[in-house]
Amino acid sequence: MLPPRPGQGAPPPPPPRPGDDVTTGVFRSHWMIVPVRVIAVTLVFVALVGPILSTFGHAWVLLMAVAVVFGALAYALPSWWYGTFGLREDHLVVHGGLFLRSSREIPLSRLQAVDVVRPLLTQVFGVAELRIELAGGDGSAIRLHYLPRELAERMRTAVLAHAAGLPGRSPDAPERPFYRLPFPLLLGALTFRVPILLAFILLLMLGTAFVVFLEAGVLGAVVPLALGLLRYYWGPLARYTDFYASLSPDGLRLRYGMFQRRMQTIPPGRVQAVRIVEPLLWRALGVARVEATMAGYAGARQGDSSDLLPVAPRSRAFTLVNEMFPGSEAAVVPLVVNRERLPSAAGVDEHLFVSVRGLFCRVTEIVPVERMQTLRLSAGPLARWRGRATVDVDTPPGPVAARAADRDAEEGRRFLNALAEYGRRARVPSAGTERWATRATMRAERGPAPSEDEKTEETPGDTPGEAL
Amino acid sequence: METSEPTPKTEAGPSNPRRSVDVAFAAPEGVPWRRIPTGLAWYLRLESVAVCLAAGAGGGVLALLWGLPMWALGVWLGLWLVAGVALWFLAGSSQRSWGYAEASAELYLSYGVLVRRLVVVPYGRMQVVDVTTNLLEQALGIATVRVRTAASAADTRVVGLPLSEAVQLRDRLAARSESFSTGL
Repeated sequence: MLPPRPGQGAPPPPPPRPGDDVTTGVFRSHWMIVPVRVIAVTLVFVALVGPILSTFGHAWVLLMAVAVVFGALAYALPSWWYGTFGLREDHLVVHGGLFLRSSREIPLSRLQAVDVVRPLLTQVFGVAELRIELAGGDGSAIRLHYLPRELAERMRTAVLAHAAGLPGRSPDAPERPFYRLPFPLLLGALTFRVPILLAFILLLMLGTAFVVFLEAGVLGAVVPLALGLLRYYWGPLARYTDFYASLSPDGLRLRYGMFQRRMQTIPPGRVQAVRIVEPLLWRALGVARVEATMAGYAGARQGDSSDLLPVAPRSRAFTLVNEMFPGSEAAVVPLVVNRERLPSAAGVDEHLFVSVRGLFCRVTEIVPVERMQTLRLSAGPLARWRGRATVDVDTPPGPVAARAADRDAEEGRRFLNALAEYGRRARVPSAGTERWATRATMRAERGPAPSEDEKTEETPGDTPGEAL
Repeated sequence: METSEPTPKTEAGPSNPRRSVDVAFAAPEGVPWRRIPTGLAWYLRLESVAVCLAAGAGGGVLALLWGLPMWALGVWLGLWLVAGVALWFLAGSSQRSWGYAEASAELYLSYGVLVRRLVVVPYGRMQVVDVTTNLLEQALGIATVRVRTAASAADTRVVGLPLSEAVQLRDRLAARSESFSTGL
């Protein structure tokens, strides 16, 4: 459970410097963006049109290049000047556009996640991008590009403070370390997967074949293989290097990235559902991956942003789940095992719905009962003849699709009734998660945690695995 | 079958799997299903006839244009005729399979002939409730109430209600979604 914010209500211990105050005033991107844009446009122009123009003489190239410089400047300068944003009370106001002026006003209590992203190139200039995710799908994220890094960090703090219901001048919430991913573990775990190992072996065999027979056709198979490895091996490796997770009253904070540094903040109550993925070989290592469904990360950003822990020991993964859903314990939910066909298990208690499935890659899906959107019970013709049915627990689009597949029909209905009943009870006290710092209901009325002896009896690392 | 070993699953479990499915898909306690009037069956019949006619005629014209043999044309038309007749008779049971129940905190929906479904939507989770009618529905005086939640997987709707009843249902659901609202 998250500790209460110490400086709450009281004036913050270190008095803020005058430059630190981002709650008033108007801000815009770093001025560097103007020359960078002008230079980029000019270079592209010279590279594309230059060879054609040079047939008329170099003077023409120079003349046209100068014209393009001024044209680009005439666009970039005002669009930089008019692209402003600022805080008004607990709303963020963003102005943009030159010909089609736009002005968005965002109630910050609705924000789903805040990211500070620094791609490699922008790190050189000391600028960062601030992304504010809202629950509106793909087009609703606010992206503030090329902010000076200091401003981005302070803006993030202010935005989160407003979302928590505190004044925007509050200091950054203190954080406590949760997990640091050692690089050898990341490297080892990413390598130690069946598809990756097979791809490497295949690559070696193809390389040997190429050397022995000098057959160029072999390279045709190497290219897709290498592309696949780049995507599924090098991609996560570069993305999650130097991964560090910490907990604060403002939620979970993740920092990671080799070339693109990224800092993600997920406020409390924004995680809709969680799944713990354990590929076949990872089970031998005792490590798992934690992915989450969040309403903010829609569409293409879902895949990039849904991992809460890329590689972590299994017990750490379950600890994180307990932190995400305070007042509940995922490992002690009583699971009912289904031994028909593929083994699977599902269980529900008054806080969580847990389902475990997968023969090789074991997936544990956890949905808090107050977060489920709809419940579905379905039975196809064959299932009906056998007296079986499937229960689906729907959450917003994301990696998690919790279901109790192919259960006995009446048992399925009992699951459904229990979920509906627990959901009804759980939803009433926790009315929304906006302004989490100023409401005590979220934590106080969630009901007591499972009794202590139960917790010590069953180590979080083992229980769901035993059910299979 | 040939082993004499007792199979506790079939003996100890519910005697009839079909009955247990019926129990599983029953209405919530104390709230009977509210059924959909027969207008829906006529809607489904007209719709399937129109689709089958269009597909059969379109395919037939193409077959003539391409100069396919007559038996192929006959088979094609026969297939669509059979499909149309089957759908015509299935429309009744499809209409009877629909039901909805407004429990204290959730909307229950039940439908499906081939795949039976039971959908539970808590009122607090409803984001949008709207009523739609297409041209054919308007001609029959029926409407569809569609409920949207933040989960896109479930398509939750109540079809074939008389227009006035649909509007009332929408208003009730909208009011409840407001009073039960708990954010996302």
